[in-house]
Amino acid sequence: MWRTILRRALSLIFVLFSVTFLTFIVSYLAPGDPVRNMMGGRQDPVRYVFLRHLYGLDQPWFQQYATFVLHLFQGNLGYSFKYPERPVWDLIATGVPVSLKLGLLALTLSLLIGVPVGIFAAVHQSTWKDTSIMGAMLALYSIPSFVMIPIVWVIDLALYKAGLPYLPVAGWGTPLHVILPVLVLAAANVGFIARIMRNSMLEVMRQDFIRTARAKGLPERLVLRRHVFRNALLPLLTVLGPATAFLITGAFVVENLFAIPGIGYLSIQAIGQRDYPVIQATTILLALSVVLMNMITDFGYTLADPRVRIE
Amino acid sequence: MTDNANSVEQTLTFRPWWIYFLRNRAAAVSVVFVLTSLFFALVGPTFYQRLLPAEQRNLRNGVYQDYDVINGTSSAMHWLGTDYLGRDTLTRLFVAVRVSLLVALLVETLNIGLGGILGLLAGYFGGWVDMLISRAADMLFAFPGLLLAILVSAVFGSTARDLYGGTGRLLLVATSLSLVSWPLMARLVRSETLSIKSRDFILATRGLGASNFRIIVRHILPNVTWLIIVAATLDVASVIVSEATLSLLGLGIEEPGASLGLMIFRAVSKLERYPMQVFIPAVAITTLVIAFSFVGDGLRDALDPHSRRIS
Amino acid sequence: MSYKKNWNLVISAFVIVGILLAGCAPTKSAPTAAPAAGGTLRWSLEGINELPALDPPLAGASQSVGVISLVFEGLVRLDSDLNIAPAGAESWDVKDGGKTFIFHIRKDLKFADGSPVTAEDFAYSLNRAFSPDFANGNAGYYLSNIIGSTDVTEGKAATVSGVKVIDPQTLEIDLQVPSVYFLYQLTFPASFVVSKKAIEANPTNWTDTAFGTGPFMVKEWKHNQSITLIPNPNYWLGKPQVSEIEMPFIQDPATALKLYQTGELDIMGTYNFPTDQLPSVSASPDFKQVNQFFVTYIGFNNARPPFDNVKVRQAFAKAVDKATLINKVLEGAVVQADTLIPPGMPGFNESAAKIQELSLAEAKSLLAEAGYPDGKDFPKVSFTINNQDPNYAKIAATLQQMWKENLGVDVEINTEELSKFNDDLTATANNPTDAAALSFYISVWGADYPDPQNFVSQQLRTDVGNNNGHYSNAEFDKLVDQADVEPDQTKRLPMYQQAEQIALTEIGWLPLYYGKANLLISSKVQGIVVTPQGLFPQGDWTKVTVGK
Repeated sequence: MWRTILRRALSLIFVLFSVTFLTFIVSYLAPGDPVRNMMGGRQDPVRYVFLRHLYGLDQPWFQQYATFVLHLFQGNLGYSFKYPERPVWDLIATGVPVSLKLGLLALTLSLLIGVPVGIFAAVHQSTWKDTSIMGAMLALYSIPSFVMIPIVWVIDLALYKAGLPYLPVAGWGTPLHVILPVLVLAAANVGFIARIMRNSMLEVMRQDFIRTARAKGLPERLVLRRHVFRNALLPLLTVLGPATAFLITGAFVVENLFAIPGIGYLSIQAIGQRDYPVIQATTILLALSVVLMNMITDFGYTLADPRVRIE
Repeated sequence: MTDNANSVEQTLTFRPWWIYFLRNRAAAVSVVFVLTSLFFALVGPTFYQRLLPAEQRNLRNGVYQDYDVINGTSSAMHWLGTDYLGRDTLTRLFVAVRVSLLVALLVETLNIGLGGILGLLAGYFGGWVDMLISRAADMLFAFPGLLLAILVSAVFGSTARDLYGGTGRLLLVATSLSLVSWPLMARLVRSETLSIKSRDFILATRGLGASNFRIIVRHILPNVTWLIIVAATLDVASVIVSEATLSLLGLGIEEPGASLGLMIFRAVSKLERYPMQVFIPAVAITTLVIAFSFVGDGLRDALDPHSRRIS
Repeated sequence: MSYKKNWNLVISAFVIVGILLAGCAPTKSAPTAAPAAGGTLRWSLEGINELPALDPPLAGASQSVGVISLVFEGLVRLDSDLNIAPAGAESWDVKDGGKTFIFHIRKDLKFADGSPVTAEDFAYSLNRAFSPDFANGNAGYYLSNIIGSTDVTEGKAATVSGVKVIDPQTLEIDLQVPSVYFLYQLTFPASFVVSKKAIEANPTNWTDTAFGTGPFMVKEWKHNQSITLIPNPNYWLGKPQVSEIEMPFIQDPATALKLYQTGELDIMGTYNFPTDQLPSVSASPDFKQVNQFFVTYIGFNNARPPFDNVKVRQAFAKAVDKATLINKVLEGAVVQADTLIPPGMPGFNESAAKIQELSLAEAKSLLAEAGYPDGKDFPKVSFTINNQDPNYAKIAATLQQMWKENLGVDVEINTEELSKFNDDLTATANNPTDAAALSFYISVWGADYPDPQNFVSQQLRTDVGNNNGHYSNAEFDKLVDQADVEPDQTKRLPMYQQAEQIALTEIGWLPLYYGKANLLISSKVQGIVVTPQGLFPQGDWTKVTVGK
């Protein structure tokens, strides 16, 4: 048991190391000179040298990377390029709980809806119910959020103008502000989850022991309840990892358009402005959360299914 | 009746796979839809333009800007209206579908080539080969969804265009998308390879003195082909959506090229005034995604040896 | 067939959701007792998700300048007619033909915390602005004319020799060359007075509760979300009536528009407006549109073929149908620009407008004279734009077609991210004949202060920092050099206009359009005026109120 935990932990460290390395390399190889960009086109050689030194950009790449990792351990995420001399942690610290809240709520909602829908579709496989529901799920999955949001806004605005109760169109701070963004974020994920649930249900349903149960004369209802569900819920755990990852990319657009002060909000701007320290910091944080989620689900899997042995 | 006794190499078929496939109505309709779309995407523009006398043809070529009909609605000359620069929407739609399908093709080719082969090798050889490949896959898995694709496109996008023009961008998008897709394929193929590897008939073949290469190519590969095909088809759906998202961030196909994501992105801000400009490409994306998903599901139902319905 | 759901899972999920929602208690504290007569002003800052800087020497982005101007003040300020008005200094004397300025500091001038402000504080602020810590800031850019300022930035001196404290109420500033527009340069944040006490008490985070001598002070800065200001009780003009200004940071202007439309904002559009939605909004009585002192232009690399040939530049200029571009493609969201000096700025010359008129016949003949009849053998050129402004892509595509149709020339569009674009622009400035230099590009210039020097000399004089395209004309240089030091406004303006004629005829730049400020201001807000340089109070901030 401990050996597996140790191995898992090593694996985690390896993955984190590679994530930091990848982000570092991408930033390092990026075209453009961040210091020059910071100076906004003004010519000042003294300042140029000063800034390059401040950001450690005058060191060779491996030294930069070593410093980077060292600082990570100290919790120092460096200084932002865009907001000169502002520590990156300052910038994102407030965003973390916000994104966390938004993400967890959306995840829960999409699971609550996606799982039963997926099951329903699997049970009614190949009937019109299955096809139409899956069609709807796929439609939700394929409509980008940046299309859904303006549509939602048009409807909301119409409600406002008609004097009917409406929801706040943007911002953060009260429970009401949470509703629209969570709905939009969950919508695409619902499709994703429903699909996966349906597939895993179908896989389980094809297993021989199900056939045996049916052959024994067990009513379908009981077959489902006693055998299919238990076994289909296990693959549900594996859904959590990819679902979280999916949620994160969705959050970028949602936070941006709804003006929600989370990590995605900052990231988009950072990417556009090539604010590499911020990009690195947020990428690492996001990767960390996905990795942790994967670890949790892996453990959950081992606990739930004694047949599985972690490699 | 267990799987082991049923050597998958000689499956107990009562009917060829495509009968099962065609029985699935959703899949059948979807295949027709996909093929029709492909056909229209390829030859549509030519016919559409040929309907006009020679000197007027460029009005419908999708890049010519006719300033007098900016944001025009559907008319005799422009069947689906025009966009914000007066370019014909129908032609651009055809071209955009072409691009989406082309990107999907490229990505899946890379996916199959890279992910399929690596998955096979990892599953078959195990040991350090497996460890190396699995760690590499994990590393890329840790990157939440599109984040890596976004980073790569953001950083190397302009270089790609400088060196190779519009095609360069296309290739870059395809490459970055496949970077995030192949790990999943590899994982799936690896699992299936592992389970096949342990079967009796493999043991037997090895006992007969077959080389590794022969075993992989002649015995394992045919049995994972269905998995590869199904996984690739299902992945197409997410590639189409990912490409649209990259365009939102300005990292995908650029003007004057057309892509479904780009068309939507440009039109979204005018949603309230010209909703059709958003709906047309959005509906295109949604239907393509749904179609490919149904086709993938249908293929899986028809090809997956575990799911063969005997009726 | 029916089946039961796994109720345990569902129930526990609801519990989780409940807990999470409970955690969503409003993060704002309960509103204080009903605000005084003035009301709360909700004013959005679009285009950012966090205020870049609140420390005056670091002000760069217009949003920073906007907020800083509410909290801090300098020696002088701009009034709603864009004239210089007293602020920290109640009067001043100009000596030596514009080389020496003596400022008389207002008696009883106080910081918002009650501490008195003297000439010492102004000197402290200026020295600080020039110190190496702020070498990245804007002081060096706007105020480098002050004697001894660069010495401080380079670390050679501790204080600026040109800034002298004569007595607690008198401050003297000496310039290297006489300057009529120096006072305008002082309206920019670099020179605003800051509290030494506050900075020394909290060196890293003093801006979180910033205050100065401006009409307002910071109540709360919710990072990545908003900043809230309250009146400065010690403001020298009197305490403002507005009880609170709430300024949320809204990245996407479309979001800000929606917020305004649902009654969540009183002013929006100051920094960015979703121009695509203009037609649906322009009929509203709340809508205000004012020309801005921003000119978007096409810059040419005058030092490298093919654009080193004035005829080629003229041909390209005359082949552009600006009217169609602006009215049809950009849907009239901006104003066509045919001059360097924008309308509303002193020196604007209406009659200069006809020089770059569309003329296809002339364009073709000019190109032929330059050696490329009908575009034959014309080298492949790249038209470079950055991807910040969504309009640029539209403009580039339109111009590409116009040049193809009207001149027979093939132009490639090259879109770059802002950072690469800036790099390339610098490369063009430093090494115009280098392969990496740009051929022609779209760029934009916004007035730092409402004076023609900012648009003429500072942009196109030979080898001036902003003259990335290396336009050079001896006659032009002579005229602007004279105009820059001429104290008499009636004499200097015509000089700028003459210089402008030269530059326009030779197409140093090809101006495309002037920006328009598009704003929505609720009728509840009284006393605010929209000017080409931004929003100003009519008179001053004490007279602004927000009704119910």
